[in-house]
This record gives sequence, structure tokens and C-alpha cells, in this order.
Amino acid sequence: MSGFLSAYSIQNWLESCPQGYLEDTQYGHAPGQTEPALVLDNPTLLADTIRTTVQLVVGERCALAASSGLINAAPDHASKAFLATQTLDEARHVEIFTQRLYDLGVKKSELESTLAEHANPNLVKFAEVLLEKVDKGDFIAGVVGQNIVLEGMAFSVFEMLQAAVSGVNPKFANTLSGTIADERRHVGFGENRIGSLIKQHPERKADVEKMQKEMAYHMLATFSTQFAQSGSAMQEGQRMAQAAEGNGAEAPAKWHGADLATATPEEMEGVLSDTVLKEFKVRLGRIGIEYQTPAAP
Amino acid sequence: MTDPLEDARSPRDRAARQRFVLDDTGFDEVPKKYRRFYRKWGGVNDALARNEVLCPVCKVVIRSTRELRPGDRVYCMPCMSRLVVSVGEGGRLEALVAY
Ligand SMILES: [Fe+2]
Ligand SMILES: [Fe+2]
Ligand SMILES: [Zn+2]
Repeated sequence: MSGFLSAYSIQNWLESCPQGYLEDTQYGHAPGQTEPALVLDNPTLLADTIRTTVQLVVGERCALAASSGLINAAPDHASKAFLATQTLDEARHVEIFTQRLYDLGVKKSELESTLAEHANPNLVKFAEVLLEKVDKGDFIAGVVGQNIVLEGMAFSVFEMLQAAVSGVNPKFANTLSGTIADERRHVGFGENRIGSLIKQHPERKADVEKMQKEMAYHMLATFSTQFAQSGSAMQEGQRMAQAAEGNGAEAPAKWHGADLATATPEEMEGVLSDTVLKEFKVRLGRIGIEYQTPAAP
Repeated sequence: MTDPLEDARSPRDRAARQRFVLDDTGFDEVPKKYRRFYRKWGGVNDALARNEVLCPVCKVVIRSTRELRPGDRVYCMPCMSRLVVSVGEGGRLEALVAY
């Protein structure tokens, strides 16, 4: 077994994560940090923030189901141990984003109905393609779908969100940086473990490529409907961030060349889609999978 | 050994290299004694020093106390990848994943 697998121990995870960057956090951020009035007091922004957070919970619930489901399909013990730590990471992500919904005013009794009302149907389809592989116990397709496609997408989305809120919402920026740190391990496992497995099982490539194409299609459809819904809120957020900047708050950063302070929803959708697809191509290429371009949704 | 440079081409080669003093940049995603060996990447305009290489998997900058050269094997602790340093576009050092 390759040496890198020895890093996938519970001890390693304990030292870097709960005893490391998560020490002294509450629901992923510093105790006492709250959502800014900028969001809470503005109905358009609040509704949009809730809608965005719902997609994060839906995505993380899928990651939780996938990583836990893959434990029993894993061919070796080090992978099982790693997936056990990932399962806890994903359960934590579900919890912290759910807590954010509560912080935004969603009542606990209305959680499931809020999720059902706002979950993007394309994101639900994206999850279904992956979970079908997991349910069949297909380890290779499951890990590519989860740790490369889903995580690759999450990685870019979290980075973009973090760049957008870094100046105006330290609580959420904090929550995201712990999540990004977790995702680094998850993408690392995906590439390293599957890179060697694909070499041993080249006959699985076609099947995995088909799944990736389907998932990419549903992902692009998710982005396009999300940004179409967020148009007015994005502009309102930009106006308010500019006003806050006048009061000393930091200006939102640039992300992959897009100026987050002025970009239109269409521009942001374009930049995000391009970034994620480019990442897919490179990541899949490294493990010997040829990226398949999906039809435009 | 704590330095991410695991395997220079030869011990003599390693000794002849420029040394670097690393400061803690606040990167907290690995246990304390390893923190100075990694830093956050600032995007495409972030110029890397001669002892630094970007992890293509998790986009963290890996830093060694020695200058890095093509052929070196380095370890990225944040994503647990083993990498080989190579020369990329424009002569910039790049890391390739060693499966
Ligand atoms: Fe996650
Ligand atoms: Fe993850
Ligand atoms: Zn890395």
C-alpha cells in the first residue's frame, strides 16, 4: 500500500483539525461573532442569504451521505479511516451551515420546509447522480464524484464566497475558512487515492467520465439558476458594501479577475463556471480521466 | 523531519543550497510545529520565492528551509499529497503529484 495512506489516521486528523484550527470555535467561528446588520436588516439580502445557505446545506448533506456511504465500499483500512474523518467533517459542515440558517432567523421547526422550498432542483439532481454510485458500492466512481467533482466545485464556491464576504462578514468568512481547510484534505484524498486506483482499473474510465459529464451538466444548471435568482440581491449587496466601505470596512476582493464589488450576476456566473470547469479538467487529467464537456443547460 | 523537502537529489546537493529562515505567516491548518512550512496563496500575482512551490491539489504554498530544485520530492501536509518539483511554464517551479 502506498506510503501516503499512513497520513490518513484519526490521530493526524485530531491534531490538525479539532485540536488545530477548530480549537476555540463555535459552529466554525469565534464565539460571539454574529451575522452583520447589513444582512439581517435588509429583507432582500436576508432572503437571498438564506437561499444561498440552503444550497450549502443541501450540498453538505449529499457529501455526508456520500462519504459515510463509501466507508463500507473502501478496499483498504486507511481509506476507511480517512472517510470516517471526512464523514465527521461533512456532518460538521451540515451543522454549521444549518446553524447559520438559524442565525439568519429560520425557525428550527421550519428547517426542513425551508430546505425543501429553496433547494435548487438541479443541485438535487447533481446529488442524485453521485448517490446512485455510492448506493451501488462503486468506490471509484463514488470517490471521483464526491472528492473530485463535488469537492472541486465546493472548493471554488467557498473561495468565491469567502472573497465576497471577507470585508463585510467576518463570522461567515471564518466559518468558510475552516471548511476550506477541511476540503483541502478531501480533495487530496480524492486525487491521491483514485490516481493510483484508476491506474489499476483503466476499464472503469468510461463509466466515470459519463458520471462526471452528467454531474457537470447539473452543476452548470445550478449556477445559472442561482445567479439568475440572486441578481437584485447581489446588486443591493454591492451597494451596501460600498456604503460600508465608506465607513471603514474592507472592499471585497477580486476573484479570478472578477471585481466582486461591481461584477454583474452574469459575469460572476461566467467566472465561477469557467473556474470550476478548468479545475475539473486539470484535476481529472491528473488522475487519468478525460474531462467530458456537458451540453449547455 | 519537519521540512516538507523530503528528498533532495543528493545530500551534497542539499547542503550546497541557499538556506531560508521561515517565519510563521499565520497558516493554522497544520499542527503548530509545521505551520511555518506553509502559507496561503495570494493568487496568480503572488510571486513565489526560490524555496517555495505551489501545491496544485489544495493551492497552498509549500515552503522549505532550502532552495527547491526540479526533481525534489516535497510533502504537502494540508492535503497530504506527495509531490515532485518540476519546471513549468516560464521557468516557474511547479509541483506534480506523485501517485
Ligand atoms: Fe463539506
Ligand atoms: Fe468535503
Ligand atoms: Zn496540498
